[in-house]
Amino acid sequence: MSPIWLVATDEWRFWLRSHIAIGGMAVFLVLIITTSLLAALRIEAETYARINQQDEAEKTFLTQPDRHPHRMVHYGHYLFRTPAPLAQFDPGLDLITGQAIFLEGHRQNTAMFAESTASADFGGLSWLSPALVYQLFAPLLIILFGHGSIARERETAVLSSLLAMGITGRKVIAGKTLALLSMAFLLLLPLIGSGALALSASEPVSSVFLLFGLYFAYLATWVVLTLMASVVLKERSAVLGVMAGLWLALALVLPSVAVNVASNTVSAAGKIASDLVMLADLQELGDGHNAKDPAFKRLRADLLQEYGVEGVEDLPMNFRGVVAMESEKKLTDVLNEYADARMHAEIAQEKVVAKFGWLSPVLAVARASRAIAGTDLANYHHFQRMAEAVRFDFVQGLNHAHVHQLSYRDDINRNRDEDARLRARVDASNWRVLDAFRFQAVSVSERFGNASSAVYMLMAWLVIMLAILFWRGDKLTP
Amino acid sequence: MSIPGALRREVRFSSRDPVLWLWLALVLGLSAMSVAFGLAEVERQNETIQKLIDGDRHDRLAQYDKQESWGSAAYYSFHLTYDPPSDFAYAAMGQRDAQPWMHRIRMLALEGQIHERDVANPSIALIGRFDFAFLAAFVIPLVLILLLYDLRARERIAGRHDWLEATVGQPTSFWLLRASLRAGAVFVTLVVPVIIGGMVAGASPAKWFVATLGVFAYVALWTMACFFVSSWRRPGSVIMLALIAIWVAIAVIVPAGARLAIDRLVPIPTGADILLLQRETVNDAWDLPREVTMAAFFERHPEWSEYQPVEGSFEWQWYYAFQQVGDQRTEQLSTAYRDGRLRRDHMAAWVSILALPSLLERFLQSLADTDLRAFFEYEEGVRGYHAALRDFYYPKFFRNEAFDRTLLEDLPSFKPGNPGMG
Repeated sequence: MSPIWLVATDEWRFWLRSHIAIGGMAVFLVLIITTSLLAALRIEAETYARINQQDEAEKTFLTQPDRHPHRMVHYGHYLFRTPAPLAQFDPGLDLITGQAIFLEGHRQNTAMFAESTASADFGGLSWLSPALVYQLFAPLLIILFGHGSIARERETAVLSSLLAMGITGRKVIAGKTLALLSMAFLLLLPLIGSGALALSASEPVSSVFLLFGLYFAYLATWVVLTLMASVVLKERSAVLGVMAGLWLALALVLPSVAVNVASNTVSAAGKIASDLVMLADLQELGDGHNAKDPAFKRLRADLLQEYGVEGVEDLPMNFRGVVAMESEKKLTDVLNEYADARMHAEIAQEKVVAKFGWLSPVLAVARASRAIAGTDLANYHHFQRMAEAVRFDFVQGLNHAHVHQLSYRDDINRNRDEDARLRARVDASNWRVLDAFRFQAVSVSERFGNASSAVYMLMAWLVIMLAILFWRGDKLTP
Repeated sequence: MSIPGALRREVRFSSRDPVLWLWLALVLGLSAMSVAFGLAEVERQNETIQKLIDGDRHDRLAQYDKQESWGSAAYYSFHLTYDPPSDFAYAAMGQRDAQPWMHRIRMLALEGQIHERDVANPSIALIGRFDFAFLAAFVIPLVLILLLYDLRARERIAGRHDWLEATVGQPTSFWLLRASLRAGAVFVTLVVPVIIGGMVAGASPAKWFVATLGVFAYVALWTMACFFVSSWRRPGSVIMLALIAIWVAIAVIVPAGARLAIDRLVPIPTGADILLLQRETVNDAWDLPREVTMAAFFERHPEWSEYQPVEGSFEWQWYYAFQQVGDQRTEQLSTAYRDGRLRRDHMAAWVSILALPSLLERFLQSLADTDLRAFFEYEEGVRGYHAALRDFYYPKFFRNEAFDRTLLEDLPSFKPGNPGMG
């Protein structure tokens, strides 16, 4: 039997005799399995509820009676964000971003009703998810298992006899690494369970594999860090103290500090603030409700000339509809410009946080995990962009009906009496401009792209630490 | 051996421990940093509010200039409402990253507006700020554990344990003195920056004094826990693991379980239901006979019941009446939504007695007015203000008063922290 294998199996034998190791493992497994099951149930219920709400909203819209098309522009529509299948593993931003958005003409609204606003509040760590259990607590378990691996052999003088037998320091370390990695692999088995459930919700298998690989690399980084402390420090309790301190710094302190730095260095104006600036721009566009607004003079002159007629009443289409359509388009350009600026500011803040991934593998793994699960900022922006596309399409679809199916004369006389009001309507079949909506997370390849920089950071951590460990392991002394 | 003598000896002994100095320096640095970032954030939020107050007024005045009727003036003018950070918010930003603290509202149905969320970057809210409350509630217990777990075990390894106990007379008070001296040093380095921050921010001394007391009690409790567990005759590593397990249990597992249980025990209506009902009511009004809408409106406002709507023509009285009826219809759901959230919060307050870190965090947030209660008060303030706008405009509509631009100066203005303002 090779000495590496021998060292590894011996380590396992030691763990199996240790009550603390077995107890810690049992607690961890109970925790991760409970969390996974609860999260899976929650996501299933949420998905079901939101799909139902979406269907309900679509049905309500489509069954509206004949009406003036602009009434339907203001009647508006709702979109509901269904959670990504892997949100049951890593809910990411899913819980703290709005689930519903109201779409209407002339406005972009914010997504409303986040889960976190209504939940009982116990602070950030109480949003326990399988991902968080792996990010924060699996390292503690690895420290528990690994802190004594070299230090214990040194304390009991086994190390000196091993070295005297001609087993090199590197081989001892390789054996211990193998044992700890196999343990890390075991810890990750419940992840496959979560992944399998996501697969049944049409999640591609590649993202589950990547997620598994990601967390394995992350736990491997902690394995290497723990072994390094165990190699360098003489006493077990010193190893434990240093590793616990390191965990405190990397897992609890640095991520939040990164957030402070990001929000302090990059300013991201909120929606109300940027809307106020935008309003000044909008003053110039004219009020789309008022076809006499001077802003539309040019449009009117062009149309009159094109059709060679004297007044807007003689145009072959409804001029009020043309104005509504034109102003919605110009308005949307401005709205999108400001929405993009807001998203870019948020991305800029996130990039500052992301840089701290070089200092803390916890941050790197968390970001990559959200990206792969499709619950990160990019995905939330994707929802906002999709919602805006739906909004613009249905509003312009209705405006199109306004232009071509409602005469100008009927339109301007709509408030005269009841008959005039009835004439100024279009058929309800026009409401079918609305397509059925299902929110889909961004494509897998895009998600992998979003995760890539964080994955590189994690790999850099692992490779550098591993190199140092084996370089130092060569000089292992009893 | 007299107490001062023992104290002096312990101070001398501890001051020679470089690890203790390292931790104290770290705690001081982290505390100072959290306070500095907190102060900067409070200043940033105040600046934002000030800028928005100006921009809001400017925009509204520009709108007024274009209006020719009370109805359109009310339709086109937005009003900023806001909840400024309190003088202690620098220590606990709490819900300010997750809940909206600004709304720009107008005279339309309020339920369609009040659930808008103009909140900070969600990736910031997800990780959470490193504020003083987080440091004190979640990080400091771990620092105390790392400092105190091996007080006895270390002496045992150094072979001095039994000798020490034999010489000091009362071993328990000796170890207690050593533990409390170290914990006391941590406590002082922790709270000094927050007190200095309070002076910089001009916070009322009562607030940071009470906060300091709370933190003191918290540090004392953890010190006792470390002290008792470390008296266990076991290797230092076992003691540390036991203490960390306690931390994980009460900082993470109890809160996470309690959150799930409370959310399940207290169901609340979904937001979607409120929104959909509100929209249906408001939109159906266009097709309903006007008497129906007006009858519902007059239930709340009998004083205007002489008004006779004219079918077929557009009238602002009727328009704003159906906006209000939209709010009336959703009132029950909306109240249930609010009450449910309050009940959840109320239960969370009780359960957090079992989850000490959450208890301290919630305590500091309530001092800083950044807890859920403060946000409900703000929401009440917005509702009160919206009602005041209605009180201002309704007489103008229903008495058919001629539009007078100058009278708009009498519009009530929003005053923060004053629910049901006038």
